Amino acid sequence: MTAPLLETRGVWQRFGGLIANSDVSISAGAGEIVGLIGPNGAGKSTLFNLIAGVLPPTQGTIWFNGEDVTRMPAAERCQRGIARTFQVVKSFETMTVIDNVIVGALIRTTVMREARRKALEVLEFCGLAGRADVLASQLIPSEKRRLEVARALATEPKLLLLDECLTGLTPMEAQSGVELVRKVRATGVTVLMVEHVMEIVMPLVDRAIVLNLGKVLVEGKPTEVVRHPEVISAYLGDRHAISA
Amino acid sequence: MDTTFAQRRRRDLILALILAVLAAIVPFFVKDVNVQNIMVLTLMWAALSQSWNILSGYCGQISLGHALYFGLGAYTTTLLFTKFGVLPWFGMLGGGVISALIALGLGYPTFRLRGHYFVIATIVIAEIGLLLFHNWDWAGAALGIDVPVRGDSWAKFQFTRSKLPYYYFALVFCCVAWLVTWYLENSKWGFWWRAVKDNPDAAESLGVVVFNSKMGAAAISAFMTAIGGAFYAQYVSYIDPDSVMTFQFSLLMALPAVLGGIGTLWGPVLGAVILIPLTELTRNYLGGSGRGVDLILYGAVIVLISLARPEGLIGLFSRKPASKGVPQ
Repeated sequence: MTAPLLETRGVWQRFGGLIANSDVSISAGAGEIVGLIGPNGAGKSTLFNLIAGVLPPTQGTIWFNGEDVTRMPAAERCQRGIARTFQVVKSFETMTVIDNVIVGALIRTTVMREARRKALEVLEFCGLAGRADVLASQLIPSEKRRLEVARALATEPKLLLLDECLTGLTPMEAQSGVELVRKVRATGVTVLMVEHVMEIVMPLVDRAIVLNLGKVLVEGKPTEVVRHPEVISAYLGDRHAISA
Repeated sequence: MDTTFAQRRRRDLILALILAVLAAIVPFFVKDVNVQNIMVLTLMWAALSQSWNILSGYCGQISLGHALYFGLGAYTTTLLFTKFGVLPWFGMLGGGVISALIALGLGYPTFRLRGHYFVIATIVIAEIGLLLFHNWDWAGAALGIDVPVRGDSWAKFQFTRSKLPYYYFALVFCCVAWLVTWYLENSKWGFWWRAVKDNPDAAESLGVVVFNSKMGAAAISAFMTAIGGAFYAQYVSYIDPDSVMTFQFSLLMALPAVLGGIGTLWGPVLGAVILIPLTELTRNYLGGSGRGVDLILYGAVIVLISLARPEGLIGLFSRKPASKGVPQ
């Protein structure tokens, strides 16, 4: 078996007395869609931020593409091929949609014409081409989510980190979001997504990792994971676990 | 849409060319020295505001301490000329380089600050600079330095009989500042700066090295500001700390851009063309006992603008992207 694209080895994160992640070891293989799920406060977002490079872990290492990236700043990780979206969308509000995406594209080229062409291509891929010249501040929420994905894709990532990008959308919007994620994977990009809406994630992911209280609770095929008694108890409480 | 973008860039360039040619012709019809003086100052402040706009408008790091770089430009040129006989042209470049280096040195600690804290730091640092020059005997301390008259020549950049050479230099300076902005606006730097302004965290996640972007903007901005300071020293041929390094200069660099449209290509020029003649005229007509009336007027204009056109006067000419932006 070849080494996975992304691997965390015994990662800990403490915030003062609070332990957000304890001894988390997960991995994502090339071309996989991995779901990172768990109830509120499980440490999903912390782990996500550690992988994206927002802050270094207290302990443990993070490996990407055979390289130790534990101490690497976010911008450099992006250069290596890790791109992310934000749970609370962070568009460049005073810039047009295409300009937002060009910022991402500029990491691979400094030729403006090339960056613009690439940005248009990505917008086309994400179904936003018609909104290219609109200010980002004028997009509706579901379009802003798409813009987050488009911007990240413009950096030509090997690994795309999606932070609750399907949460809070209407069922139809979420469905088209799911299709977009499938399309992204079809281009060979590995996807690691944090979600807590199980119904949306489970049919989509190849593998699910459940976090609870900062630890990996269960890991496996989505169909197995949802029936796992510990997962049910983490989400719904012990009573339900017993009755299940 | 790719073509419309290229068309807009070309249209900006053509418009700038037309305006520059018009500005070059004006002195043939305007012989009044006072009016010429106002024109020189307008061009100079337009260029300075354009320089300020790079760091504060595009990159979003609001500086209210640019008087420091202005003063450094003025002092470097003047000191090199009076003490060592170095021609002002070299002094100008030297001042630019020194200012850029100092901007980098100051940026190293201050760019870790965000928002208001950064603004306060810029004000304080410029005030420290002012105090240092007030007490630096070799540099003339509070008495200042007279630029000795050595006869009219381009080499020494001195002209006692006519304002026109200064006018044309200011025009070239203004055009260069505009062109630099025009070029940078559609470059990797320009995009990085706007991304940093709008959301540094998102920018960082897309591979933008936020700290370096700010440093780059600061260096370019300080360099150009110092050129303006050097020019001003030659133009008025006498400098002291209070006439080149006070807070008022920092404000005067910011105001045209804010009035015209902060972070826009045309904002500083538009703002300067309205603001500077207005100031000079009020000073001429209400001057003397009415010290400060021009500043009251500034305040009034800014208040009016922020009420009616928060994005700056440039908003009056905008191509209304809003009509296309209505959510479906």
